Amino acid sequence: MPATPSTIELDGLEVQLGGRTILHGLTGALKTRAIGLLGPNGAGKSTLINTLLGFHAPAKGSVRVLGLDSHTQGKALRALVGYMPENDAFISKMSGVRFVRYMAEIAGLPPDQAMERAHEAFVYVGLGEARYRPVGTYSLGMKQLAKLAQAIAHGPKILILDEPTNGMDPPARKRLIELIREIREASDICLLLSSHLLRDVEETCDEVLILRNGRIASICNLVEERRANRKFLEMETSGAEAAFTTALEALGCECAVFSHGRMKVVMPENIEIREVFRVAADRGVQIRRMNHRRDSLETIFLNAMEQTGAADGRL
Amino acid sequence: MAVYKRRYNSYAGSLTPDWSRFYVLTRYAFADLFKSRAFVIFFILALMPTLGFGAYIFVANNKTVQLILQMRMGDVLAVESQYFLYFLLSQSWLAFLLNCWVGPTLVSGDLVNGALPLFLSRPFSRAEYVLGKLAVLGILLSCVTWIPALLLFFLQGGLASGWLWPHLWMIIPIVFCSLTWVLLLSLVSLSISAWMKLRIVATGVTFISFIIPAGIGAIFNGIMRTYWGDLLDFPQLFQAILASAFHDEQFTGAARFDQVPIPMAWATLVLVCAFALFVLNARLRAREVVRG
Repeated sequence: MPATPSTIELDGLEVQLGGRTILHGLTGALKTRAIGLLGPNGAGKSTLINTLLGFHAPAKGSVRVLGLDSHTQGKALRALVGYMPENDAFISKMSGVRFVRYMAEIAGLPPDQAMERAHEAFVYVGLGEARYRPVGTYSLGMKQLAKLAQAIAHGPKILILDEPTNGMDPPARKRLIELIREIREASDICLLLSSHLLRDVEETCDEVLILRNGRIASICNLVEERRANRKFLEMETSGAEAAFTTALEALGCECAVFSHGRMKVVMPENIEIREVFRVAADRGVQIRRMNHRRDSLETIFLNAMEQTGAADGRL
Repeated sequence: MAVYKRRYNSYAGSLTPDWSRFYVLTRYAFADLFKSRAFVIFFILALMPTLGFGAYIFVANNKTVQLILQMRMGDVLAVESQYFLYFLLSQSWLAFLLNCWVGPTLVSGDLVNGALPLFLSRPFSRAEYVLGKLAVLGILLSCVTWIPALLLFFLQGGLASGWLWPHLWMIIPIVFCSLTWVLLLSLVSLSISAWMKLRIVATGVTFISFIIPAGIGAIFNGIMRTYWGDLLDFPQLFQAILASAFHDEQFTGAARFDQVPIPMAWATLVLVCAFALFVLNARLRAREVVRG
């Protein structure tokens, strides 16, 4: 039985634009259905998306999306893609629903199906009332939603969203993130979301690719990271530390003890936190502070920036 | 699925064939164009000369009507090659005006708000995009040039017995020369539309792109006492090519031009088309790359 292809597979991908190398030999496989793309400005996120879409040809290496090479099988790949660009992308004089229908027909839907899907997509993104207005009269947030509608109307297999929440107020942003999650959960659609807002990525993605200066700073599986974090404790204790450590290790925990009663504990899957409290009580040890280590995406991102020598890795 | 059910559904229905998708652009462009009453009136007016030329053929082949009118139409202009030459020259100017109206709207509207990445992120190539837009102009301009010319040709062939077969060769210059003019006009206006994002500017530039070079050519001719400046006068080049294709030696426009070789006229038109394609290739990109 053939192995399931990775969602995105990078193999020594190098992209040069205007005589400069923008992406430097990216290699890695992203296997989950919801992938976040992070990086500071100029890291190469948009260039990577444009290369995935076949807008830029790789100078070296290749990138495969859902098993299709973006350069040699570009047309077949684009048949599977729904793309929401970062910048303005609409035809201002067309009504919203006609614009989405137009785009769906270009994607290959027959006119009657395209019309039906355009109405559905517009109602789905919450622009049902505004669908007969020219897109040029929409507010910034409405234009973002119209872009999302045209990206989903033809029922793509992979949805590429470039900075989808740009220019949206907090309630609109929340609604859009909910929509993206709904789309992800309601079907087998894959998602690639590029954003400078870590929260957007954290709320919608399972895996994250962090770029810095056109190189991969980190590929991190957020699902596994979250699972691991649930079993990682930081504590400050007072009392019989050695006996406490020994008892925890007897339970299967891994302990690292530091000065002034500080310790880190990695618990096995079958051990709950109340076991730790019980052992501490049995040994007469006071637990003065206890934290689940919560490696947020921000920590992961900052670590990735530092590891690649970017102490100032700001977003 | 009813529209009130707010749930995302993937699409599993049928798809249109790949080769037919360029025509979506054409269809939508036609729908937009024919929404304008002014355009519909102009398009109808552009078809009026065909009725006039058709009426002339009818009268020229109808002795009774000629008797009533007390004139012999053959004395004015015989329905021969020169008749079709006049028809195509008059229609080529109408095609030019139609092109100035329609051409500039076609690409600039997609570029001004960055819609091009949306087209090109679908299974749709730049060539298909250009083909779809070219088809708009190709169909419209054909409707006022070679299609009515062929209708007139076959009208004459039907009314004048024994006329059709000896004149069958005229079909080639009618179709081929007209299509050359249509292609030239379409490519020039599309490239200008791709270059100028503002429609009104694009319309103006499309109009003067045929007038200003002709003026420069005339000045060059005047100063240098030559006729090579006519190579910048595209309508004049088309006229020369058409006259040559119809073997018309007496045609006034061609007589002035007969010292510029026809192959040079062809080469100039081909060069202009190639330059227009180069501009389209440079401008119609999903993403602009800043060099340096």
